Amino acid sequence: MNDLRAFSRRGFLGATGAGLAATALPDFAWAQGKDSLVMGWPIDPPTWDPIKRTNPGIQAIYKMVFDQPVTQAPDLKVIPAVVKAWKMSDDGKQVELEFRDDVYWHDGKKLTAEDFRYTYFERKQKGHKSDLASVFRNLTDVKVASETKCTMILSAAMPTVIPWMSFLANFIVPKHHVEAIGEEKFGENPIGSGPYKLVQYERNSRIVLEAFDKYWGPKPSIKKITILIMKDPSARVAAIQSGQADWVPDVPIREAERLGKVAGLKSDILPITRVVLLQIRSDRAFADKNVRLAAHHAIDKEALSRALYGGKAVPLSVVATPGTPGFVDGYKFDYDPKKAQELLAKSGFGPDKPLQIGLATFNGVFPGDYEMARAIAQMWKRVGIEAKIDVIEQPKYFELNRGNQLPETTLYSWDNATGDPEMFSGYLLNPSLPFSAWKDPAVGDQIKKLFLVVNYEARIKGYREIAVHATSEGAAMPLLQSVTTWVYKSGLKVQPYLNGWALPQTWSWS
Amino acid sequence: MNGGLLGVALRRVAIAIPLIFLVAVLVFVVLRLIPSDPIAMSVPPNATRDEIEALRREMGLHLPILDQFAIWFGKAIVGDFGRSIAFTQPVLRLIGQSLPATIELVVLAAIFATILGLSGGLAMYQMRGRAGETATDLVSTLVMSIPEFLWAIFFILLFGVALNVLPFTGRLDSGMTVGRHTGFLLIDCLIEGRFAALGSALLHMLLPALALALGTAPLLMRVLRSSLLEVTNEDYMVMARLRGFPERQILLRHAFKNAFLPTLNLMGVQFSFLFGGTLLVEVIYSYPGIGNLMVEAVRNTDLPIIQGVALVYAVAVLAINLAVDLLALFLNPKLRVAK
Repeated sequence: MNDLRAFSRRGFLGATGAGLAATALPDFAWAQGKDSLVMGWPIDPPTWDPIKRTNPGIQAIYKMVFDQPVTQAPDLKVIPAVVKAWKMSDDGKQVELEFRDDVYWHDGKKLTAEDFRYTYFERKQKGHKSDLASVFRNLTDVKVASETKCTMILSAAMPTVIPWMSFLANFIVPKHHVEAIGEEKFGENPIGSGPYKLVQYERNSRIVLEAFDKYWGPKPSIKKITILIMKDPSARVAAIQSGQADWVPDVPIREAERLGKVAGLKSDILPITRVVLLQIRSDRAFADKNVRLAAHHAIDKEALSRALYGGKAVPLSVVATPGTPGFVDGYKFDYDPKKAQELLAKSGFGPDKPLQIGLATFNGVFPGDYEMARAIAQMWKRVGIEAKIDVIEQPKYFELNRGNQLPETTLYSWDNATGDPEMFSGYLLNPSLPFSAWKDPAVGDQIKKLFLVVNYEARIKGYREIAVHATSEGAAMPLLQSVTTWVYKSGLKVQPYLNGWALPQTWSWS
Repeated sequence: MNGGLLGVALRRVAIAIPLIFLVAVLVFVVLRLIPSDPIAMSVPPNATRDEIEALRREMGLHLPILDQFAIWFGKAIVGDFGRSIAFTQPVLRLIGQSLPATIELVVLAAIFATILGLSGGLAMYQMRGRAGETATDLVSTLVMSIPEFLWAIFFILLFGVALNVLPFTGRLDSGMTVGRHTGFLLIDCLIEGRFAALGSALLHMLLPALALALGTAPLLMRVLRSSLLEVTNEDYMVMARLRGFPERQILLRHAFKNAFLPTLNLMGVQFSFLFGGTLLVEVIYSYPGIGNLMVEAVRNTDLPIIQGVALVYAVAVLAINLAVDLLALFLNPKLRVAK
């Protein structure tokens, strides 16, 4: 017995010694050198076929490997990329494109207008299912004139065709490679023409990229990128704090503020082109305009911003973010609980006889979503609206919206990297699109007309009017311009974009 | 003896087949009953009703549930689990890419749990009646009452952030790459002779495996301690003491051998649970196994993956239990007679 006890003690001491030895190991070289970068990313690309999905969270990853026909500057202005010039016909049904002649795929072959035709038109003809095909369902042909010139032929005017080509799922893929290995394998072994080549990919774990030396644009200063897929925000916080990552996004606001004060780290809280809004049904309890406006007047957006976003999220009165063409400077929808009560009283409701409505929300899809829904329900309760909160998942949201089965109101977050008002008010208030809970045909008719207006100034003017009309009629309740958070090592020079893109090809180490 | 073991193995496999079928039916039906449309995430948000209906038909979702099941199961038994809705890849390929990582993790967790559980049980027995036993008992209760995912987060904060001595994301250091030969990273490192990568892979597995093991080790510890206490006054123990054998020899050669069998049975059950524990632990550690894949599939209502992974879990549980039963039979001839 004593022997065993002695043995156990020895074992324990040995284990303790091993533990201490482990803690005394030299500090692991988590930090990368000056030409490499480790990023913690919250979303894994479901596929490496970039035209398949319109997923905002992975657009920046795709932009590292693939090229879009055109791209955007940090201030959202559309600028040339692979397509160096474009011209739209007066009727908006034909778009001439001119390509650069110095763009190469990662296997060394040249990118031509044929690749563009294949991506946008032929793949659809071959039955390749993709979100891109759905976006360009009116594209009837792409006529290739030469290696660097082609014309898109549309069955209906598409004034936003150029902004769209810098948006989701709009990436050019190599015809020769997809045809050689097949659509399915391309989703695992992609070749792009972007600033980085995919070197290694392990699903749900990491992506390794290396700079492409024949890239047509500015050569990336950071030569090697490792993207660690970290879905859990606390893991991202731990990774940046421990030095296992050089940059992480989407950490909670308070953590971002705290980490920004840690020596060797910086944090940014960046307003982006994401609108947090309440989607409104045009029927049921919200068929009454007084009720809709009362619900809107009862919401203290400043308080929501302070409580959930450290005051960094900008309160909105129209469905557009500051700095985008559809934003209406000077228009403000007031927080006025007294007016809310008066409006409700006109319709026969009040704190003693509350109006009962449903409020759908996500929990964890965008920062503070569920907490915001609860806060709004509390604000409404004070004026005489009782909201039953129903937490739904994203797939359920799409299903309910398609079936016109959402409750009176839904807390929603809407990303629009282009900043174009068509993708704000145009999509959110067009009853014929499944993004819209508002089914009033009057607003819908105006928007459908704007969908065909080719003149830029007239189109933007129209959308601004609709945005103000929608708010003043209670068709939409824009709440806040959402923010994203970045935490990174202080030696890293980052380039924020108004749409939240994190593009390490534009970054460098100081 | 071998014939007996083989017979038992064959009988257990024969029983496992209808069990797997029942699991498949259950998973399939339950997934069809949840109020969520599986194609909601697979069509673009601006899809027309016609496009949605066409996709629904293409995926066979317009058919009665029994017909859907018959089609799915008919394909599944020949290895075709369908295509993932979100990843647009064959489910079998996705599982094949993820399963080795989980197996490696679970095996290491099982090794940790066994070492901690058995050594702890022996230590508790040795300290019986003293303050050390009470203290160990309290610690084991505390360890047991904290779920794996909290241990996972605690270890990240302690070893990853505060002490900064262990990695906690993925399977390898960011500067390393190892070719995929078998999918089992440890084996692939050995195949390529990459010993630095092997060390890195083991370090990356340490924290998730330990977090998983802590859910199992205290139970093993307690059952072994109880079993040892039960046999401590058996005649053969008394005889051994009378014959003057050292206590350590009596414990390890006589008591442990007999007390181990109940612990072994528990190990079978507990090691099955290790697979379930990987769901959250893999997500927290960005570990690319089937637990992570399953969580992603649930998030996307990706029914083909959920069905496929559920079947893998069922097969894993049955296989572990079969292995443990066979080991018990091998160690205890009396059970073979009983069978």
